[in-house]
Amino acid sequence: MQSEKTKPRRNRGALVIFILVVSAMTFLSWVAQSANAEVKPAYALVNCRIIPVAGPILDKGTILVRDGLIEAVGPADKIKIPPDAEVIEASGLTAYPGLISAHTNLFLEAPEPSEPRQPEDFFQALTQPAEPQQFPELLVLKQLKPKKQTIESYHKVGITTVVVAPNRGIFQGQSVVLNLNGDQLQTMVLKQPWALHINFTTERGLYPSSLMGTVAFLRQKFYDTLHYSDHWKRYNSNPLNLKRPEFDPFLEALIPFVVEKKPVVFQCNNQEDIKRALRLIAEFRLNGLLTGCNEAWRVLELLKNSRVPLLLNLDFRPPSTSLYAQQGDAARKRAEAEIYPANAAILHREKIAFALTSFGLSDSSFLKNLRMAIKAGLSQEAALRALTIEPARWLGLEKQLGTLEPGKIANLILTRGELFDEKAKVVRVLVDGIVFNYEEKGQ
Amino acid sequence: MRTSLKKIVVLSTILTILGFSASSLLAGGNLLIKNATVMTVTSGVIPKGDVLIVNGMIKQIGQNLTAPPGTRVIEANGRYLIPGIIDTHTHIALSGTNEGTEAITPEVRMADVINADDSSIFTALTGGVTMVHTMHGSANPIGGVNVVLKLKWGKPSEELIVKEAFPTLKFALGENVKQSNRTLLPGRPQRYPATRMGANAIIRRELLKARDYMAEWDRYEKLKKSKNPPANLIPPRKDLRLETLAELLRGRLIARCHAYVATEMVEFLNLAREFGFKIGAFEHAWEAYKITDELLEAGVGVSVFIDSWAYKMEAAEGIAYNAAYCAQRGILVSINSDSSERIRRLFNEAGKAVKYGVTPDEALKMITINAAKQLGVDQIVGSIEIGKQADLALFSEHPMSAYTRCDLTIIEGEVYFDREKLLQEREAAAIKKGGN
Amino acid sequence: MNLKKIKSAIKQKTSHSRLILYSILLVGLLMGGINPVKAAGPEDSEVLAIVKVKIVPVVGEEIPEGTILIKNGRIAEIGTTVSIPPGTRIVEAKGLTAYPGMIDSYSSMGLVEISGVAATVDNRETGRINPQVKAIEALKYDSMHIPIARANGILAAVVAPSGGLISGQSTLIKLHGWTNRQMAIKESLAMVVELPGIRGGRRGFMGMGQPGAVSTERALAELKELFHKARMYEKRRAEAEKNLLLPRPDFDEASHFLLPVVKGELPVIFSVQADKDIIQTIKFVQEEKIKAIFYGVHQGFKVAEEIKKSGIPCLIGSLYELPPLWEDGYDALFLNPGILNRAGIKIAFSSSSSSAAKDLPYHAAKAAAFGLDRKEALKAVTIYPAEIFGVDKDLGSLEKGKLANLVLADGDLLELGTRIEKVFIEGKEVDLSNRYTELLEKFKRREKEKKP
Repeated sequence: MQSEKTKPRRNRGALVIFILVVSAMTFLSWVAQSANAEVKPAYALVNCRIIPVAGPILDKGTILVRDGLIEAVGPADKIKIPPDAEVIEASGLTAYPGLISAHTNLFLEAPEPSEPRQPEDFFQALTQPAEPQQFPELLVLKQLKPKKQTIESYHKVGITTVVVAPNRGIFQGQSVVLNLNGDQLQTMVLKQPWALHINFTTERGLYPSSLMGTVAFLRQKFYDTLHYSDHWKRYNSNPLNLKRPEFDPFLEALIPFVVEKKPVVFQCNNQEDIKRALRLIAEFRLNGLLTGCNEAWRVLELLKNSRVPLLLNLDFRPPSTSLYAQQGDAARKRAEAEIYPANAAILHREKIAFALTSFGLSDSSFLKNLRMAIKAGLSQEAALRALTIEPARWLGLEKQLGTLEPGKIANLILTRGELFDEKAKVVRVLVDGIVFNYEEKGQ
Repeated sequence: MRTSLKKIVVLSTILTILGFSASSLLAGGNLLIKNATVMTVTSGVIPKGDVLIVNGMIKQIGQNLTAPPGTRVIEANGRYLIPGIIDTHTHIALSGTNEGTEAITPEVRMADVINADDSSIFTALTGGVTMVHTMHGSANPIGGVNVVLKLKWGKPSEELIVKEAFPTLKFALGENVKQSNRTLLPGRPQRYPATRMGANAIIRRELLKARDYMAEWDRYEKLKKSKNPPANLIPPRKDLRLETLAELLRGRLIARCHAYVATEMVEFLNLAREFGFKIGAFEHAWEAYKITDELLEAGVGVSVFIDSWAYKMEAAEGIAYNAAYCAQRGILVSINSDSSERIRRLFNEAGKAVKYGVTPDEALKMITINAAKQLGVDQIVGSIEIGKQADLALFSEHPMSAYTRCDLTIIEGEVYFDREKLLQEREAAAIKKGGN
Repeated sequence: MNLKKIKSAIKQKTSHSRLILYSILLVGLLMGGINPVKAAGPEDSEVLAIVKVKIVPVVGEEIPEGTILIKNGRIAEIGTTVSIPPGTRIVEAKGLTAYPGMIDSYSSMGLVEISGVAATVDNRETGRINPQVKAIEALKYDSMHIPIARANGILAAVVAPSGGLISGQSTLIKLHGWTNRQMAIKESLAMVVELPGIRGGRRGFMGMGQPGAVSTERALAELKELFHKARMYEKRRAEAEKNLLLPRPDFDEASHFLLPVVKGELPVIFSVQADKDIIQTIKFVQEEKIKAIFYGVHQGFKVAEEIKKSGIPCLIGSLYELPPLWEDGYDALFLNPGILNRAGIKIAFSSSSSSAAKDLPYHAAKAAAFGLDRKEALKAVTIYPAEIFGVDKDLGSLEKGKLANLVLADGDLLELGTRIEKVFIEGKEVDLSNRYTELLEKFKRREKEKKP
């Protein structure tokens, strides 16, 4: 009789241990699949010049990286190199925080509607009902196909973090913040979604087909979102006697941004777009940011007073509405070479905060234009801040990125030469503590 | 002690307010124009007149005036000084003209799409034009809310808006609305309305809807303010389109209607009576000469071309006597350009009216004070009078002469077009080029 | 009538006979033709005298007050000491000025009624090469635009086709006649060739000047080919005529109608705008040895020297256009005619329109506002176009022997406010009523209807 009683207790114990072991293994295997969770090696980058952005420049310093995070930053003689750290000799190199481009269209595969080739195609194109270009619910993450070459080319200009925004329509969709740490999309995600993106463009053949129509359309949609959200709130708190509001996926998608004040980014292609965006932000008290803005230098007072964050691109071509584009080729080219490059410098002088982005440019043009902006009067320090701590702040990632400080993510670049010099070369990049080696042979 | 202190406070407050309002009117320029043939428009011509401008306002008109030191003096040498020309119908300085995908779009606002960089602004200045009523196009029976701008070339867009002007809503009738001159593609449905009957019907429909909308909100407000508002009370949806039409019905917007043929105008007058809204003017109104009685009775003016006709069927009975005949009958007539090319010859267009039956003075009114009256800005511009804003233009010959040329255009005392300066700059550039 | 009998009858002094006498005298006077009552003026008055009129002959000095005597449709006498033969119809013209009728050097009058209604538009044939089409053959002589232009002092006009490269044959018409052929002064005036406009510029008037796919260089090369083909065509046809054994080339329409051009008999009006294009075209004209006239010449002011040297006259395009290039300056088109004129080039103004044809004088005045001498401006709408088109023996000025094509205006002919009181074409007074006046009168009647 007694043996019968003890048998079930022993079996239960074994069962519990069994379950624990199985779940631990499952857990570990699941964890092992996401490379992020994989414990990464420790590195010590020694004897390099360090520009941490937070704090003074170190002429000869050491950076300790462990498991994807910065462990320590300091003068070479003050930092003890842990025995398990792989030493990367970095004398003659300069370390910067990895650059952040707060607006790109990287990895987007969605093709632009192609021009029809056959006469039948023209006919078809003109007589088919047009497709509305409104995608507030779109999560751009779902459309991305990362390519190794693209990541490498971005690394080579020093960019380690990007915002990828959708690129079509008026309500373009919702962007994602990625760390360019490999080509596995999931492991790159830093923030998903980040912001709703809106562009001052129009539909073709559908309402709104004009810019004034787009403004009215945006305002109406915002009012509709507020009304819709109110109605649902009321209904959810007490549905008695209240007619059920109709579900609308469009407005549903706008609630986080219009009601809950998640960030909204307006693409401003000329100075009037900036004014239009500021008016909308004020009317609906949005958590707004402006991107593009290559004519920000013409709207200084308004920008100073509004304190809306600016994501400046470095495309110096005068917009077609601008008077520089209406006075002949020579005038336009002169404006592109002499007037528009001073945008960032002027904003800096007027103490208007901004980030710089690579939006609209190839990686090589980005560098070239960045140097032109510096030549036009932007200090190197301000340029660096505009590519590191400023965008980090507005992305809400200042505790993780933007400077070389202990505890932050190990995103950094090592250059041979000053970063903004023509001859500078990015030789090593760390993203999430993963090392990418771009040292060319013979160096 | 207390009362005198109070007095001081009150007095100083009043003085500050007064001082503020006087100087904050305009922060414009200072000029002294000497020896001009001053055509005041409202009080005759002063053969050798001086005009003193202080802070953008006309301060003095007379002879042998002196200016405070530092004021720029412009020697007119007998040239003709007129009020800045006002064009009541243009589409310049805008990014976009029509929201043509739907027939009824009063929610769109031209003030949202001002482009102060439009080189047409400069073109207009070379013709002595200082103010424009820039509008939605004529693709829709009900277009959008228009805006009146001063052509301050080089200034930011918000500084161009003339706040004192009547807010106006664009209506259009006729061939453009019907899209009758466009070839339709199979598969693309014809937009309603395709007839003039449909155009009136759609306007009526929308105004009835707007009345309904206003009633909905009234009911809501009543219930909300009542002693026991129902628990399930939710506000109606805010509809920007119907809101704008409601403003028209409330009298806070005035209709400006593009119409050519007589029946269109007669019926639009009926619509206005039916719904109680005000008409600012008929635009183009080519057949106004056929219905002068009806226009006089309704007290509605017209804004017309002088002789740009015969480009559409509805303009085939437009006669060059239209403007003059309507003016003779007592209708308020202004002449407009509706063109970024014609705008710089607006004074010539007015000059042609003389041939067809008005005096040169009356012709000048058609592009100055009459236009100002139609836009609701005749208190501040449209004539050369003390206390008005200094919007002026200087012409080499009588402005109604075919041989005249605009030499100088001034807005609020600042010179925005200076032909002499332009010629000097050209010469300097030519010398520089030659020397290289 | 026996004078002696009358004298003795008068001497008789009886009341009865005096009555008979005076009646006979009256009848005699009436039969003699001295009509104390001025007739309304039957249109076909053979002899006409315009008296007490200011005369601006355009060629020669102005006459503050004088007389113009018209006989058989021509100016017989003109001056201050003109003797008026008995039986002349007198036209009192105190306060008026006599000018020669204006000549519009380029228009679409009679080819375009309502520009937006395709059925009424006849100036653009389809295809690129159309030397065979003739404007005179489609001219709507009772177009509503012609009486309006006439009532504003334009008495002759070039009517030109448009479109493609070779648009067709223009015609020179007088603005009066009962059929299109009756209106023709020169049925085939000149071949019209339209070269591309200024690249990157704005669209030109009447559809010309489009920044097109074909450059001027290519267009001229194409023309060269066509001209060569025409010459060869003629040679081969001529040879085949002589030698019946030779195969005769098939009929080639384009070559057939280009022959008069390559032979130098029919001039070509080249619509050309850009400075480089003008230079190229001058070279082409000289190489091909054809007669040429330029039209448009927006950037002519940049190459005035070269145009002067070539001797090619210029028809000025409408000044109601914005300069195609901002860099040329807002007033480039206004300054252009003055610059060309001062360089010694023969210019003529055009309306380049049908519905705005009456504005011809105002283009001239606009150019005068920007530096063209006023007398030259007047010449450029009268004698210069007459000379350019080879009709100056008959038209373009008020001179003895020329046709009596003249207008009586109440002021300066080029001024905006001027009213034309009377128009004479070949000595016959012409009705000034037109679409504008007809509709005005019709609706003025509404006013009158109400009055008791």
